[in-house]
Formats: sequence, C-alpha cells, structure tokens
Amino acid sequence: MSTLSVAKKDFLDVRRAKIVWFVGGLYTLFAVLFFYLGQYNNPNPDVRYQLFTLSSIGALFIPLIALVAAYLAIAGERESGSIKYLLSLPNTRRDVVLGKYLSRAAVVSVSVVLAFVVGAALTVLWYPDLHIDVFASVVALTVLFTIGYVAIAIGISAATKSRSRAMGGAIGFYFVGNLLMIFPGLSIIEGLDYLFNSLLGLGVSDNVLEFIRMLSPTMAFVQSMALTIPDDLAGVQAEFSGDVPFYLEPEAALVVLIAWLVVPVALGLWRFSRADLG
Amino acid sequence: MAAIQTNGLTKRFGEDLLAVDSLDFTVEEGEVFGFLGPNGAGKSTTINMLLDFVRPSEGSATVLGYDAQRESETIRSHIGVLPEGATLYDRLTGREHLEWVIDTKGTDDDPADLLEKVGLEPEAAERSAGGYSKGMQQRLGFAMALAGDPDLLILDEPSSGLDPTGMQEMRDIIAAEADRGTTVFFSSHILGEVEAVCDRVGIMNAGRLVTTGTLDALRENLSLDSSISLDVETVPDALVADLENHEGVESVTVDGSTITVSCAATSAKYDVVTQVGAATSVHDIVSEDTSLEQLFNTYTNGQQPGETVVDSELDEAETETEVSA
Repeated sequence: MSTLSVAKKDFLDVRRAKIVWFVGGLYTLFAVLFFYLGQYNNPNPDVRYQLFTLSSIGALFIPLIALVAAYLAIAGERESGSIKYLLSLPNTRRDVVLGKYLSRAAVVSVSVVLAFVVGAALTVLWYPDLHIDVFASVVALTVLFTIGYVAIAIGISAATKSRSRAMGGAIGFYFVGNLLMIFPGLSIIEGLDYLFNSLLGLGVSDNVLEFIRMLSPTMAFVQSMALTIPDDLAGVQAEFSGDVPFYLEPEAALVVLIAWLVVPVALGLWRFSRADLG
Repeated sequence: MAAIQTNGLTKRFGEDLLAVDSLDFTVEEGEVFGFLGPNGAGKSTTINMLLDFVRPSEGSATVLGYDAQRESETIRSHIGVLPEGATLYDRLTGREHLEWVIDTKGTDDDPADLLEKVGLEPEAAERSAGGYSKGMQQRLGFAMALAGDPDLLILDEPSSGLDPTGMQEMRDIIAAEADRGTTVFFSSHILGEVEAVCDRVGIMNAGRLVTTGTLDALRENLSLDSSISLDVETVPDALVADLENHEGVESVTVDGSTITVSCAATSAKYDVVTQVGAATSVHDIVSEDTSLEQLFNTYTNGQQPGETVVDSELDEAETETEVSA
C-alpha cells in the first residue's frame, strides 16, 4: 500500500531530524522535574496530582512539539521540490498526506510516550502507588491530543506551498487556537462576549461561549481530562464539576478532540489535491 | 498506441500568463523525442501536466494510452521520471533512496545494478544524499527513474549540473535504454545533447510548439543557407555567372581563390562541385551543414516571418517525418 510506503520512507527521514528529538527531550525533562518535585519533602505523595500538572504543562508544550515536527512535512517538500520525486512514483496525493500524517504522528507520539515511560519508572521509584489506571488514561488522552496537533500541522502543511507560509500558519494557529483560548483574561472568548453581548446585544449565554472555547483542541483536551479523574480525588474534581449542559460535559470535549484528528487533515488534503505543484 | 499524446493542452497561470498554448503533439512508442526550447518556453509546465503535478486549463493528454489526470497513478507505475529542479532527501543515503523507489514501484531491482548503470560508486551510495554534488544527485535521480524497467522515461533537463563527461555518459545511458525499446522523452535547452540521441525533436517557444520533426527534416524545411566552399586554382568570371544562374543556388561570393556558394537545398551542392570541377581544378572542398544552433535560433528568436509560416513549416516537417519513418 502506497500510504505505508510513504510513511515508511518519511519515518526513516524524520527520525534523523535532530530538532524533533530536541523538543521531545525537553518535554521528558519537564516530566522528570515534575515527578521529582511532586515527592520532594512530601511524606505521602500522590502521583495523580503530578499527572494533572504535567498535562496542563503539556497543553502548552505538546502543540509546539507536534507543530515543529510536522509543519514542514509537505510544504517543505514542495519548496525543495523533492515532492516531485515522491509524486513521480505511483503514489497519490492522498497517499502523501496520509502517509506523512501516519509517520509524523508516530514520531511525536513515541517521544511523548517516552516521556511518560520515564515518568512511570520514576513513579515506581519515588511514589507509593503507580495508579496504573489513571496513569494509562492520562497517557492515552495526551497521545490523542498530540495526534490532534499533528493533524493540524499536517493540514497546514498540505494547504501551503512554502516553508514560510507553513510556519506562519503554524505560529498563527498556536496563538489563536491555543494561547488565546487558555488564559481567561486574554481570551478570544472575552472578545466574542464583548462583540455579541455588549455591542450587538444578542444575549449569547456563557455556556455557548464556553462551548466555543472548548472547540479549540487545547481546551477540549483540558476539559476531557476530567474523564481520567476518579471520584475519590477531591479537590481536583471540583475544578471540573458543576451543573453544565450536555455539550460542556467531558464526553463532549472528547468528541471535539477526536474531530481534531480528522478535520484538519481532510481540509488539507482537499486543498492539496487541487494544488498545482509547479 | 502513442507513448504520449496531447490534445490542445493549455495552461494558464492567473489571468495573463499563458504558459502552454494549445499543444498538440505525439510521441510514438520506441522513439527518442527531444523536447527543446529556451528556459521559460513551457517545457517543464508541459511535463508537469503529463505527470499531473499541474492541471491543464484546457485540453488533455494521454501517456501510454492512459489519461494523464484520471489515471495518473497507473501511468506513474509504468514510467520513470527524472524531475527538474527537485532535491533529494538530505538525510537518506543513496541506497535508501533506491530501496524506497523499488519498494514503492513494487519491483525486484537490485540497487547495485542501478548504481552501476548510472556510474555511481557503491561507497557513495552509503552516504547521505545531503552531501552529494549536483552531478551525483542527477545520477541518483536517474537511477531512481530506471528502477522497474519503465516503458517510458520522462527526463526533464537530464544533463543540468553535469560536466561534459557526465553529459556524455548520460547520453550513452539514454541511447542504451532506447536500444532496449524504452521510449524516451526528454527536455533540454542544450542543443548538443539532442543531436546524438534523438530520433525526433519538438521545439517550443513562448508556450507554443513551433515545430516538430526529425532534425534532417527541420533543416531541409528551413531555408537556412547550406553552404559549400571550394578552394580553386583560378576563378573564371564565366563560372561565377553560371553558378549564380544555377537552380538551387542562392548566392556566390568569391574571396581570393575561394568560392563560397550558398545553396537553398543540400542537393544543389553536388551540381556546384561538378560545375566548378569542369571549369577549374579544385584543391579543397568544405561543405557546411546547418548547425543545430542556427536551426534552434531561427525557430526561437522570431527570425521566422510569422505564425502562419511557422504553422505551415510545422505541417511540412511532420510530413517529412512520416515519409522518412
């Protein structure tokens, strides 16, 4: 199958790119630091708190790893012209996009999982309980989030024809889809609230605005994190609970997150399959 | 079945750039077709349309009988391509490039055979392509094109970046592939390389195909002066007058003991020699063929009177080809 052949060759290529391992290694260092701090001077440490702290750092950091690892996947080949070798062979443009998605998702997932493997080893060493069920579901959700951002980077890369445009798209998405969604005071949602309710007087409810916020992959990840938290872990749970409509439930957030795995790649493929590769 | 056939193939970029203007040509199976023209003539855009890198604005093309747009994947499993201005993968070795191509094409070539064909050292194939010279890159690209014993080779500027030895080797490989029955379609803006290997050429200029035919046919159909110089003992006045009146002779110039006769057709040269030989003794004869350079410039520099003439020349050249084929 050509998709696999594209993925195989791309994996061979990208695993030799130092930058990917550099950002991946940085994330591992963060993980080590957090697991260390969680048990330092703490007679009864609980690794679950460290997992949740690590995932909120991940919300900022993982998009960077994924974007750096994948934004040039297709646009870079268009700029250098090597895409002509790729498409002179019996590969379709869909094979190219899906194959690249597969290989970059694998590379970034591996580096994220590695960080957690190191974390798990340290947990066994330093903590009384590994909490394997929570640990595993946090890893699974984080990998899902990672692949979602790889999908975004692949989508941007497939829709742009040069290195600089792909970089602009990736940085732009990081700001709009990530930074400007996370921090409440600095959020796009504040702007929308002002526009809809103060200026236009539409009376858009806070719940709807919150749903718009949850459409960003990062917020979908943060909200769906509630699914991994067991009921007995008070304190953390309170942050997520409350009487909310169904579309703000963590399950809805998970659906949004899964949609991010598919939609950007489909849009990128739609653009790429029509593009002239001069 | 034609190896390549285009029907009114046209490509516009934006509103005003007409890169390729209603192209109609056929490359027959088994021939070596040289696709000539200056840089920017539309050669690469045409090739890009054959490979479905670029979609035609109008018209269509078939390659090996398959539609270039709808059946592109099938086409690409039967052809070998050396794209122009493409870079290799810096982080992969030469051998990894070949293994990837062999794997994708699903063939059972031995990378070592392909390397030998293009004259790339096995040691070089173990290094990553990022450190290759332009010539080595081009050789590796060629080896990749040859994988899977393709029915048709499409080579876009195959000699770019090669030194004269490399160009000669490239020509030898093309000739060897052609002998094995492979159809070869290659573009070039360098004329020397087509003369030795091409059965037929097409000349493109400013998006239009100005002519196609065998080189001989093109030469004959262009009334470029084909001249002959004779170094003689004496130059009788009557001889000059006789020569000027002879059919097929365009002009006669005398410089000391050298008579230079410009002929409309090469066949007139024999008559000239016999006539001069009858009148005086001849020391030396130099017959000059129309150089390819001259031919090319005539077609691409707008020296020809106008488009209507160009079209009729095109028809004539095609007719000649069919006669000679």
